[in-house]
Amino acid sequence: MSTAALAQSVLNGLALSGIYILIALGLTLVMSIMGIVQVAHGEIYMIGAYSVYYVVAVLGGNFFLGIVVSTLFVGGIGVILERLCFRPFRGRPDRAFTISIALILILQNVVLALAGGNPRSFSSPITGVVHVLGIAISWKRLIIVIVGCGLLVALFLFIKLTRTGQAMLAISQEREGAALQGMNIDRISATAMFLGCGLAAVAGGFIGSLFSISPTMGSFALMKGIAVIILGGLGSIPGAVVGGLILGLVDGVLPALTTTHIAGLVGFAAIIVILIFRPQGIGGHAG
Amino acid sequence: MKRSLVGATIVCLIFLPVFLSGPYYTHVFILTMVNIVLAASLRLINLSGQMSLAHGGMMTIGAYTSALLVMKAGLSFWAAMPISGLATALVAYIIGYPFVRLKGIYFSIVTIFFSEVVVLTAQQWQSLTQGAAGIFGIPRPDPVSLFGILHADFSSKVDFYYLALVLMLLCLLILYAVEKSRIGMILRGVQQADSLAESVGIDTTGFKVLAFSVGSFFPGVLGAFYSHYISAINPDAFAFLFTIYILIYMTVGGDGRFLGPILGAAVLTILPEVSRPLKAFEPFVFAAVLIAVIFFVPEGMVGLPKMLKRAKPSSKEGAAHA
Amino acid sequence: MLEIEGLSKFFGGLEAVSSVDMRVNAGEKLGLIGPNGAGKTTFFNLVSGTLKPTKGKVTFEGRDITGRSPHYIAGKGIVRTFQGINIFPDFTVLENVVLSCHLKPGVGLFETVLRTGRSRRKERAILDRSRAILDLVGLDKLADASAQSLAHGHKRILGIAVALAAEPKLLLLDEPLGGMNASEVSETMALIDRLWDQGITILLIEHNMRATMNLCRRIVVLNFGRKIAEGTPDEIKANPDVIRAYLGAGAHAA
Repeated sequence: MSTAALAQSVLNGLALSGIYILIALGLTLVMSIMGIVQVAHGEIYMIGAYSVYYVVAVLGGNFFLGIVVSTLFVGGIGVILERLCFRPFRGRPDRAFTISIALILILQNVVLALAGGNPRSFSSPITGVVHVLGIAISWKRLIIVIVGCGLLVALFLFIKLTRTGQAMLAISQEREGAALQGMNIDRISATAMFLGCGLAAVAGGFIGSLFSISPTMGSFALMKGIAVIILGGLGSIPGAVVGGLILGLVDGVLPALTTTHIAGLVGFAAIIVILIFRPQGIGGHAG
Repeated sequence: MKRSLVGATIVCLIFLPVFLSGPYYTHVFILTMVNIVLAASLRLINLSGQMSLAHGGMMTIGAYTSALLVMKAGLSFWAAMPISGLATALVAYIIGYPFVRLKGIYFSIVTIFFSEVVVLTAQQWQSLTQGAAGIFGIPRPDPVSLFGILHADFSSKVDFYYLALVLMLLCLLILYAVEKSRIGMILRGVQQADSLAESVGIDTTGFKVLAFSVGSFFPGVLGAFYSHYISAINPDAFAFLFTIYILIYMTVGGDGRFLGPILGAAVLTILPEVSRPLKAFEPFVFAAVLIAVIFFVPEGMVGLPKMLKRAKPSSKEGAAHA
Repeated sequence: MLEIEGLSKFFGGLEAVSSVDMRVNAGEKLGLIGPNGAGKTTFFNLVSGTLKPTKGKVTFEGRDITGRSPHYIAGKGIVRTFQGINIFPDFTVLENVVLSCHLKPGVGLFETVLRTGRSRRKERAILDRSRAILDLVGLDKLADASAQSLAHGHKRILGIAVALAAEPKLLLLDEPLGGMNASEVSETMALIDRLWDQGITILLIEHNMRATMNLCRRIVVLNFGRKIAEGTPDEIKANPDVIRAYLGAGAHAA
């Protein structure tokens, strides 16, 4: 395979990695800090995609504006959901899980009713290629990688520098112990939901710019997010980054090297093997 | 429930097909009985304190195993069906040991992942499963005759109805017996106080795996039944949403009593079929019911009578104040 | 009976238990004391299998049980009680004990599902034995009460009954007197003495000094995860290291 083709595959893989990392980070933030299985995370991601679509294709706005609006909007929805649906059941993960299930049904079908089931697409204003070392690199994917990295850095700084961020890290690593230290759990949970849903929204917007959107696109995100979390470590925030990187690259590069249907399984096969021998994943601690 | 009530229900179910006005309603009742067993078996796993979402994956494995055993290995359906159940129980046993060591929400996550992997494998392993298109033309069960009088060649839905009825009664009997036995007590103890159970010599990991394994036997069997009933199977038939629905049946019915999932599955399968508007808005109705249950009647339908009794002011109090 | 060599447990950088050597002789009443945070419960956790030691060896009746699972160790005859959750809250008092008779003539589990005659006889035997245990600890009148509804003192006694059901040779009691009033304390101490009379070796963690000194013939003192003293109650009371440990801890806590 030519260097150019390989480079493009790697870039595809990195773009996917960025998206997977965003999804997985959002999911693991919510899961490890609020202690719930937020299975409606895929639907949040889907709403993020539709919000970007609305801003770009209906209102005629700029793609980046769409991302920002979508993030704030969906993050806001997340905060409301935390307050109304999850806070009453703090400490009752089984009940919170039932709420998540209800949310899947509601969110998916509301969007289905409003926007119809047909896939839609919006054109990202960023088109064309840039030539690096004689290789044509798609701007779209490069932007995703750059913005993705930027968000990661911002998140990393937030966790490192703010008190809420440090608290979130502590809770994700050891829930019971951290809760006893008098942290404002309400504020931390709301922040976790805002960030988690916001990240999902960005991921949804990115996917929408690359492919199309539909009301059922959420399950793809949920399954990828789960796969990344299991690979990278249940409950581990750095693990989500490592896992997303690996899985994205596998999904991006492998299809170019072999026939597609085997490639799809390799990623999952690896994860199964890891699950059997080290169920908590590469960096996790879920016992 | 009183024995007489159970007996009366069974008798009604035996004669029901006479009153049903067509194959469609027979189909609805067959689905109901399948869902009842699925919800009840999910509850067994839940007893030990674990929320499993592997049922969809197990159902898929059961369906494909039976179809392939019959179509490629020439086995009779009557052998393939129990073998499918044992296969899923074995799979659950193998993945059980690493899985149950994980904390509650993480256990649920890996079971979701497991179901997804099963679906993907069915889609991708084309040489075995014929890929995304699925398998068609799965043969009906071999004809049987009981006592030389009752014959069933499974050319009509009614034959499948009675097979489903027998399966359901057998499965519920097994589930009930396990729950009422010492095993059931141990599982409940493990759910209440894991470390304490260990300290008196109970192998909590082993019992959690046992619950997971036994509970996963039933979707295997029902999956086999289903694929030979519909005569076709495809990878997405029992995807994530399917498992979610079983969870909904169990939760709405109430996971605290044996009757709960049975009630939940029956009501939630039959009602949308008899009410057209309900069917059209099914996801919203289900979501609304879920929310109502979680916020107001957390014990589910089986907890309703107790709740209503508590809400009514007692007549003794009234007399004292009068 | 129980030999402990160089037992240590590290949590990250923190050394919760540090190179403890100890032995418990069969038929003893041994007390384990020390200021808060000395590592006593962690020590119990290491012996009972709840935690795996970082270093060291635990031998029981000649058998190496280091790092084995808690249910295995319980099966060998070491049963412990807990400070925290020590009862099954959603069961009745009687059911708590019936469940805990797990190790007794192993009731073939498959048989109990089939409800064979033999399993029903075993279940009846377990029921009788459970009632006898409740009689022994004085909870027989509360047999059908919900465990959750018991007064605190009774809950702790139920915890002991639960442990008894598992037929311990060595009983590790983790602060059995916690939160009890004076009469409950003396009743429980009398109970522990009766258990010892019946041949159960006792290893006791307690903060109640007077009760411990009265009951135990030998005492081991831990501080900061280390063993700092060992001897008869009189020797311990006079030991300057022990006094310093308690006064020092007191001064810090003030």
